[in-house]
Amino acid sequence: MDKEEKKNIGYLAEVTKGFIKENPIFILCLGLCPTLAISNLVENAFGMGFAFFFVLLCSNITISLVQKLIPDEVRIPCFIVIIAAFVTVAGLLMQWLIPDVYARMNLYINLIVVNCIILGRAEAFASKNNVLRSILDAVGMGIGFFAGLLLISAIREITGFGTFLGFRLIPQHIKPVAIMILAPGAFFTIGFLMALFNLIRMKKGKVSK
Amino acid sequence: MKAKITFKGGIHPSENKNLCAEMAIKDFPPPDIAVLPLQQSLGAPAEPVVKPGDKVRKGTLIARSKGLISSNLHSPVSGEIIAVRKSPHPLLGEANAIIVRSDKTDEAEKDYTGGNFSIDNINPGEVLELVQNAGIVGLGGAAFPSHVKLNPPPDKAVKTFIINGAECEPYLTADHSLMLESADLILKGALIIKKMLKAEKCLIAIEDNKKDAISLLRQKLASMDNAEGFEILSLKVKYPQGAEKQLIYALTGKKVPSGGLPMDVSVLVHNISTVFAIYEAVYLKKPLFERIVTVSGKGIKNPANWRVRIGTSFKTLINHSGLTEKKIKKLIMGGPMMGLAQYTDEVPVLKATSGILVLTDEEAADFEHLPCIRCGKCVEVCPMGLMPAEISKMVERGRIDAAKGIGLLDCMECGSCNYICPSGTNLLQYIKLGKYEYMRKKNAKR
Amino acid sequence: MLKDKHLTVTVSPHIKTALSTEKMMWIVSCALIPASAAGIYFFGFRAALVIAACIVSSLLSELFCTLLMKKPATIKDGSAFLTGLLLALCLPPGLPLWMCFLGGFFAIAVSKFAFGGLGFNIFNPALAGRAFLMGAFAKEMTSWKTLRVFPDGITAATPLNLLKEQGYDSLMKVYDSHSYLFKELFIGHVGGSIGETSAALLIIGGLILLFARIITWHIPVSYILTVAIISYFTGGTFGIIFHLLSGGLMIGAFFMATDPVTSPLTSKGQLVFGAGCGILTMLIRLRGGYPEGVCYAILLMNSVTPLIERYSKTRIFGAGKNG
Repeated sequence: MDKEEKKNIGYLAEVTKGFIKENPIFILCLGLCPTLAISNLVENAFGMGFAFFFVLLCSNITISLVQKLIPDEVRIPCFIVIIAAFVTVAGLLMQWLIPDVYARMNLYINLIVVNCIILGRAEAFASKNNVLRSILDAVGMGIGFFAGLLLISAIREITGFGTFLGFRLIPQHIKPVAIMILAPGAFFTIGFLMALFNLIRMKKGKVSK
Repeated sequence: MKAKITFKGGIHPSENKNLCAEMAIKDFPPPDIAVLPLQQSLGAPAEPVVKPGDKVRKGTLIARSKGLISSNLHSPVSGEIIAVRKSPHPLLGEANAIIVRSDKTDEAEKDYTGGNFSIDNINPGEVLELVQNAGIVGLGGAAFPSHVKLNPPPDKAVKTFIINGAECEPYLTADHSLMLESADLILKGALIIKKMLKAEKCLIAIEDNKKDAISLLRQKLASMDNAEGFEILSLKVKYPQGAEKQLIYALTGKKVPSGGLPMDVSVLVHNISTVFAIYEAVYLKKPLFERIVTVSGKGIKNPANWRVRIGTSFKTLINHSGLTEKKIKKLIMGGPMMGLAQYTDEVPVLKATSGILVLTDEEAADFEHLPCIRCGKCVEVCPMGLMPAEISKMVERGRIDAAKGIGLLDCMECGSCNYICPSGTNLLQYIKLGKYEYMRKKNAKR
Repeated sequence: MLKDKHLTVTVSPHIKTALSTEKMMWIVSCALIPASAAGIYFFGFRAALVIAACIVSSLLSELFCTLLMKKPATIKDGSAFLTGLLLALCLPPGLPLWMCFLGGFFAIAVSKFAFGGLGFNIFNPALAGRAFLMGAFAKEMTSWKTLRVFPDGITAATPLNLLKEQGYDSLMKVYDSHSYLFKELFIGHVGGSIGETSAALLIIGGLILLFARIITWHIPVSYILTVAIISYFTGGTFGIIFHLLSGGLMIGAFFMATDPVTSPLTSKGQLVFGAGCGILTMLIRLRGGYPEGVCYAILLMNSVTPLIERYSKTRIFGAGKNG
């Protein structure tokens, strides 16, 4: 993918590419560690999605603003510092607003610092594009990640606990499939959703050709 | 090492040898038109020494060997050369052939019935010349010129001479019938070779399903002079018992090294029919222009063993034997395991044609090529100790070098893996393709 | 005249053995009939329902996957039927039927077709299905309570369970003597999964497979021998007989570990594979958290099959120093 082509895509496409075409989880296969770890409850997915979206948006804006100031040799440490600052902000915000969700997943929130999507977007996009495009990219990627996370966690929570956001969907007497809230369940779900997304992409590719 | 009488691996296909119930060899009438491809053996094609219009007799030399690995060709009938042109060839599809029209007199170049040879004053050079002049090639199927095999380099002296009477291919009974008809003459031929090579031992190996031939040969051997060092051994009935390396291992316990020849372990192997042809060439001065051919298969009404002139077309033989009403699927030169399927019956009998099979729908298998279930049966049966499933998968993926690394070139194409595969996978086809691709790449590099 | 007949031209060979994949699958299924029948006899009609549910769900999943992936229909080749049957035989007879359906679906759709279908799966589908159910419904998968069909003999827990959780003494309290316990284990009059209780009938089935040349002796012998050796050193003669006859060892050694697709190609590799299964089984039984380890032992060895294969190549005839 060369720069020329990237510059030419429209502003709307900059946002929507993150939904399916370059979906961070299912197509780019980035940020899989938090996805696998916290996607057993939809509530967790919301917490993670919010924190992630906030950090991505802020770091993308900041990095695209200061891209000229950062020397090439030390850009990764600089990105990490910027991201870490916003992760701390997000963590503090969550602790104030939703303390019980934060208590359950503060470890994973802190690990957003080294989340490969955020660093990847910083390196591959924000450090090379202007602020507007970086915001649009962050919005698109954030929504893509959020939606993916929501999808996985919805599947896992409904099948594994029989609930959705704590509301019981499946009657109590039907035993939920406990393996879906364990690690193997996360792999099964992501695997099959990846296959589905690839199928959609292949179908689209065929049509446009 | 001691004899093992068999080898590791192998298969037990249904023999169908009893189709040819009548073992006696019948003489097939000389053909009206004989088609004689110049390429009868491995190596270079022979060079014609006649031109259209020339009159020839039975046994007249019509093409001379050219190069080291090549063999002479003689006319099988008396008559007139009508052309030298491209004709169907059972192995090559199409190749240059000398066409002879018979004048139906069947006049011979000389009398081939009586003959004399003093076995005690044998001169290896003279025998070699007689064999070479007679145009004898390995009659078991490979058709390697015999005079080359009989002349090993001085540092590779032959200690054990093996006569291969295993005839492990199903259906074929040509060698069997020849053993029953000419047991004493085969022994005479064996003695010539043993003497000229100064071999210590001569082992005649026959599969245990030919008990009558074994006892007849033993009986003849008992009354023969110079019988020391001779031994007649019965082999376990198993395919491919007659494969050279497996046969040597079964009889002597020696393994021919990978990529090597029998002479590397001081052994020479000749087929029963070849030994008989050598007897004829040396004693009767008769060139090789006829051989025993099994015409069989469930598509043939009267299966039999015929003494056929080289150059007779398959069609003549099949029409003479009659076809059954069953649905015919394949026409094969050779046995059902290693033979070549023919697209037409216009092809002529070659020196190496040991059988002509007309297989019906019920006999000839369909290979549907389902996915390999890795059952390991091909590994179990492979007489060369290869992993055919792995090799064929490598070839399928285009990894020829990787396939070579696990023994692609060691495969002798016996087809056991393909026979046993429950998924009907075309293992051998891929292996053959792999060998072809390998040779192509190698030649392209040069 | 041959002229007007259409001759088929192919490479050699032109004949083929009568034993096809399809036949192999059905012979294995037939070899499992005695053990299945014993399961139904001991556990009652409920066991038959579990077997039927697993088979139907496997067949439907196979049909569904082949249609979805636009592959040729392979529902008739017997492999899905066999997977369903094997799965059912290692499930407890009281398992809710919808769980059986789910297990069959997982076995075929996830552990077989997601990897590319027959011949490409890494894990034994039936065992993968069982492992999935074990992870999903651990309580139901280990509850043997509903089995009181024969009040005199069949107890709530399997002998392995008793030994693991309550010790040797309470095992002996249920089965008065060694010889009585061994007899019950041998004929299958004990608690456990549907098809794994009767060692005698499973051995008969295994011998059928050996004589029909569907399997070779290498995996069962090395598997059972390894278990015997380890159990001798940890439990003496009682240990040998107890560990050989109880749990899923016999069905595992003869029917599961010998699954051609997921075991090594060469006999050398198969010996290693069997020994590995034996070691892992005993490790889980003696030291692990589960009372029974056959299923996980075989699945773990499935995953190292490619590695075993890499180091267990056949020796090419005439190659090397001694040929």
